[in-house]
Amino acid sequence: MKDTPELRSIAIYSREELCGGYFVLWIWDDELSKQCSPGQFFEIRAQASFHDAWDSQRIPKLFKPISVYDNSGGRIGFFIKNVGAGTSALARLKAGDMLELIGPLGNSFPVVSGKRVLLLSGGIGYPPLSYLQKEIINHNLIFWLHGGATQADVFPCDEVWTVDGSIGKQGMVTQGLEDVIINKKIEVLYSCGPLPMLKQASEIAFRHGVEHYTSMEAYMACGIGVCHGCAVPIGSHDDWDYLRVCKEGPVFNANDVLWSEL
Amino acid sequence: MSIMTTKLGKLTLDSPITVASGTFDIENFHFINQKCLGAFVCKTITRYPKKGNPTPRLYESEAGLINSIGLQNPGLDLFVHENLPMLRDKLEVPLIVSFSGSSIAEFEEIMATLETQSGIAGYELNVSCPNVDNEGIAFGVDPEVIHQLCSRLCSITRREVIVKLTPNVTDITAIALAAEAGGADSIALINTVFGMAIDWKTGRSRIKKGIGGYSGIGIKPIALALTYKAANAVKIPITAMGGIYTWEDALEFFWAGASMVALGTANFIDPLSAAKLQEGLSAFLIEHRYSMRDIIGKCIL
Repeated sequence: MKDTPELRSIAIYSREELCGGYFVLWIWDDELSKQCSPGQFFEIRAQASFHDAWDSQRIPKLFKPISVYDNSGGRIGFFIKNVGAGTSALARLKAGDMLELIGPLGNSFPVVSGKRVLLLSGGIGYPPLSYLQKEIINHNLIFWLHGGATQADVFPCDEVWTVDGSIGKQGMVTQGLEDVIINKKIEVLYSCGPLPMLKQASEIAFRHGVEHYTSMEAYMACGIGVCHGCAVPIGSHDDWDYLRVCKEGPVFNANDVLWSEL
Repeated sequence: MSIMTTKLGKLTLDSPITVASGTFDIENFHFINQKCLGAFVCKTITRYPKKGNPTPRLYESEAGLINSIGLQNPGLDLFVHENLPMLRDKLEVPLIVSFSGSSIAEFEEIMATLETQSGIAGYELNVSCPNVDNEGIAFGVDPEVIHQLCSRLCSITRREVIVKLTPNVTDITAIALAAEAGGADSIALINTVFGMAIDWKTGRSRIKKGIGGYSGIGIKPIALALTYKAANAVKIPITAMGGIYTWEDALEFFWAGASMVALGTANFIDPLSAAKLQEGLSAFLIEHRYSMRDIIGKCIL
């Protein structure tokens, strides 16, 4: 991992449309590709200068933290959901447009081998686990449990849950977690998704003694550890501190996260 | 002496550009050359470590950023033993240490400790943080208290003392005058403006504590007006901040009476903004054969 991330402008190589407001932006960059590990993210933004911003009457916005979805042979993919002002600017980008990015940032998932691994994702928590899966698939037995609000939020996996029941089992994905952990004799859990899902998953995994690494999401301003905006409470009940998702995270041992404070 | 040289109280600085406390750290020098800054202001420290506020702490609104960090910091002792030696080692520009306290005595205690340390050019008294209950803004709204705080602290140091003011008062000139009368060498303004955002769908506040501090482009006209007001009230120099993103923004503040400008939210939006500001400002000064002196406070109505 490089500790001196640079700010770069890179042209988007291609753009892939998925359903439900999800899309993938692909870039090529050998150097960045070599620096990335699963779990890491970039601060990315549609390129615009302060001056352009005024000309077009748009106010310059913060970068958005987007985790690496795919990284192979120099090609890096960002799997994005159009949810707000920052991501909708990204959603307007097409091949050839410039992307500004800082990264790779943050820590990465610890890599295991020879284990029975469960990947648990909810909605837009899918991308970092997809990158992880490709990196560890040859050395582990992997089962992937994914949940979404509706079928538009579902991506390739082994077992799927939707809140509205439009595809797969109906309910919250965590309802299926305990069975999978028991039946598949899961030893290691990697999770990423909405906070309530992570919270519940960490209780269940803890009860079954499963090693659990979770990738946390937080609103960020700087992305490089300066502003302390993206804090999560880490430690024990008697002794904890707010650590930074962008610097000490985004991946934390779920047993260290003080879920009650969140 | 270069055209960019500016005087800030006891300090003569090579560049009139600095950074707002808590928005910029050593990490930022990955992106820009230190020399574009006239001084470096560190994140505010307090006597004891502070965990900071519950999360979420940030929300980007239509025209700026709302934050509620709550002065998360390692505390004075750890700062002196770990952060300060590192800053001393890495900084090539003067260091301004920003600190806050919950009583005048605590401010004194912190300054007395920092006085024993080398490598500090000056202090920023943060009496304006909107996100903590007993420190910060609790001090910055009362001219009496500001006067007392400044006289007590200025008598124990020969270093630059900067008082950072809040915009969340009825009359900023009263506070500025109190700082000046108390012996402050310069003032810095503005800290963030009280701000709030609510998820219209669910009714939930975007910031856990409800109200946070609003910064960024949306507060620029407010900051400019307060700079102008304060500059016309006091003789001591002003470091202005509040929505400054570009060198053109900076020039407005110099015309209004600032001797120095600080970038805050801009550092998040463009990590190169300080370098770009330095380049643009210096090109402007050269083109028009101005020095900083020709501009500061020369606004025409």
